[in-house]
Order: sequence, then C-alpha cells, then structure tokens
Amino acid sequence: MALIVLNNLLRILFLILLQALVVSKILLLDGLILPWIYIFAILMLPFETPRWLVLVIAFGTGLVMDYFTGPMGLHTTACVVLGYMQPLIQRLLAPREGYEINERPTIQKMGLPWYLTYGTILTLIHHVVLFFLEVLRLHDFFYTLIHVLLSVMATMVLMVLGQYLIYNSKPADL
Amino acid sequence: MRNILALIQRFYVTLAFMGLLALSLFMLFSSNNYHRSAFVEHSSDLVGKVYNQRDKLAQYLRLGEINDHLALENARLRARLPENYLLRDTSTGDMLDTAGVLRYRFRPARVINATINRDMNYLTLDRGSEQGIQKDMGVIAGQSVVGIVTSTSDNFSIVMPVIHSNFRTPVRIKGFFGQLTWPGGSPQRAQVDDIPKHARIMPGDSVTTTGFGFTFPAGQLIGFVEEVDMLSKESFHVITIRLSTDYRKVNYVEVISDLMRQEIETLQLRQDSIDGTDRP
Repeated sequence: MALIVLNNLLRILFLILLQALVVSKILLLDGLILPWIYIFAILMLPFETPRWLVLVIAFGTGLVMDYFTGPMGLHTTACVVLGYMQPLIQRLLAPREGYEINERPTIQKMGLPWYLTYGTILTLIHHVVLFFLEVLRLHDFFYTLIHVLLSVMATMVLMVLGQYLIYNSKPADL
Repeated sequence: MRNILALIQRFYVTLAFMGLLALSLFMLFSSNNYHRSAFVEHSSDLVGKVYNQRDKLAQYLRLGEINDHLALENARLRARLPENYLLRDTSTGDMLDTAGVLRYRFRPARVINATINRDMNYLTLDRGSEQGIQKDMGVIAGQSVVGIVTSTSDNFSIVMPVIHSNFRTPVRIKGFFGQLTWPGGSPQRAQVDDIPKHARIMPGDSVTTTGFGFTFPAGQLIGFVEEVDMLSKESFHVITIRLSTDYRKVNYVEVISDLMRQEIETLQLRQDSIDGTDRP
C-alpha cells in the first residue's frame, strides 16, 4: 500500500518536472501546439482510488504546476475539473464485468481503443478548461479551439508513446 | 437536520468538487492583472532554483552560439572606443565629453526561464531586489527591447516581455509616435497602432523607443516594420512589426535603472501643484 502511494507521488513529481523543464519548452507552429503531459499522473491513478482522493491529488498537482508556470489557479482549476470527471468517465467506460482489483488504466491492461477513448475525453476536458480560462477573450474562440484540438492530439501522442516506452515489457507492476 | 446530513453524505464528492473549484477560481481571479505577482514572493525562490539548474544544463549545450553573440557584441563595443576615432575637429570634443551626467545604469542578468507560447508570457531573471532590481525597470538584450520588470523577490525577478497581452509602450517610427501592443500568436510579431495615415511608413522602417517615461532610454530598437495595412478605413495605420528580440533564444539581458527618475518626478509634481491639476 505504502509502495503504491510512493509510486504515485514520485510519478506526479517526475511528470511535473518533465512538463515544466522539458515539454513546456516545445514550440511548434508558434505555440499553437502545446502538450500538457503532466495530467498523465491523474489519468494513471488506480481504478479503486476513492473519488475524494482523486480530487485532492488533482488539486495538489495543479497547485504545484501553477507554482512552476503560473498564473496561480489556472492549472489548479483545470485539474480539479479533471479530477472530478476522471472517475465518472471510468465508470462510463467500464467493461460489463467491471474493473479488476488493483488495476490501473494502461494500454497494456485495457487495450488501445479503450485507452484512446478514455485519454482523449479527459485530455479534452482538461485542455478546454485550461486554454479557455487562459485566454478569456471571445474573438480568439476559433484560434483557441484549434489550439485545444491540436494540443490534445499532441498530449495523447506523447502519453501513448510514453506508455509503450515505459510499461511495455514489464508484467503487472504497481 | 438528519436529512441535511444524509444529503451531504450522498453528495460529498460533488460538494468537495464545488469547494475546490471555487477555491482555485478565486486564486485565479483574485490576483491582479499580472496574476503571478502576488505569489511570486513565496514561490519564485524555490522554483527559481529549479529553473536555474535546468538553465545551467541548457546553456552548456548552447555555449557556441552564446560565444558568437558575445564576440559580436565585443566587436561592436570595441569599435566604439575613443581610440578608434580620428578627431578631425578638436574644438568639438564630442567623443571625449566628460561633462555628461550618467542617467541610465545597466545591470547584467541572465534569463533562467521564459514562456513564449502563452497569451501572458513571462521571463524569470536570476537577479532580484537584493541586486538592485526594482519594479518597472526596463529590460533589453543587446540593443533591443525585451520587457519590463513586474515583480521581484530577493534573488529573482519576473519580467513582462513585449509578447504579453497586457504589454503597452509608446514607440516611434520615422518621427511619428504610436502605441505598441501584442495581439497574441507569433512570438516574433507585434502590432503598432495610432500612427496617422499621412505618415509614409514602409516595410523595413525601424521601430524604436521614445524615451518618454522612465523605462527605456530613447532610440532602443524594438523591431522593424513588416507590413502596413493600407486597406483599413480608420485614420490610423495598423502596422505589423517583426520584433528584433528572439524570445526563444534570449539569454543575457540588461536591466535599466533611470537614475534621474526621482528628480524628474519631483519636478513634474511641483509643476502640477503650481497648475493645480492632477496628472492622470
């Protein structure tokens, strides 16, 4: 149990640093494509995590992210929405026999089509809140929309590739 | 009462969600225009240290390029040494004038973090209030304008660059005064408004600071005119300029303090009190 907690904490910390120090420096098409891969940490929480805990973890993750890139509250808001929606989407996409105990939502466990649906819905929710809160200007609507869609794609590509790289050969891990 | 408790028990996740959402939205909107300023004092020393480490690594990989820049700058500065000038008319003594009083002081600083792909971009410098950096000081790199200091902590400071949606500064193109803004999008382009239609602005004209205010000395380069909108029916041009600062590569900057700021402000205040008017 303690190992699972530690594992998840380390993953969150690693992803935030990776986001702030490396991925945020990516500049494609004048900043039109901007992946936010740190939300992978929230998407990866085990299925049986209590909903309130997902919320609190999401809140904390967003808060730390804001300390790195500011403005204060921006990522926190997007992450809180994401943390609220994550269990709902999981329930929506649950297989008929339910999830197995001690499982995590990975491509290896759930299959690529399932993961693409799961990831894209949640990434889209997070990015829409994030980007529209950041601009808050109506005349930029379509620009922001394209910005969101392209960034969602970039985030998904990175998350899927990352999973194939990291989790591929391992059998059941934490 | 029991009903209320039962209700809370049933919807506690949604209630917690509402609470956390309200809290984070409050954080987002309670801070002023420069969202970050309020929190920078608490966070930037720790976060600054992390960024500082990253920057050390990144800089190592770019040493060659930085060397080239410094060599170029050295050459330019060396060319301005008095020994390089032949004084044809000794009676003017322009080059060796010692009667001038220093007005602007330049402090070197290093950019340790920069965002360029947002609507509100910021730069973090590795110098803060203990090294003499204060709010509202101008920041330049080489000869070209970078931005304005918006907040400082003990050892770090935050700069609002030209590529920030709230950035405004007066500029001069061919003797006409305009207002520089950044419409978002490309970090290499900005927009100049308020230049009257009768001004003949051509692509390639340089855009410089006016020297009004206390932020930048006059004549600092901002960029070059790229496109002049001839079609609009307004009586002012809409001019797109290409910024001379490449924010993707900006590394060493200089922070400008105006040593005469206080004197000029005092003078203006005195004049205002004579006129009995308030300056806006």
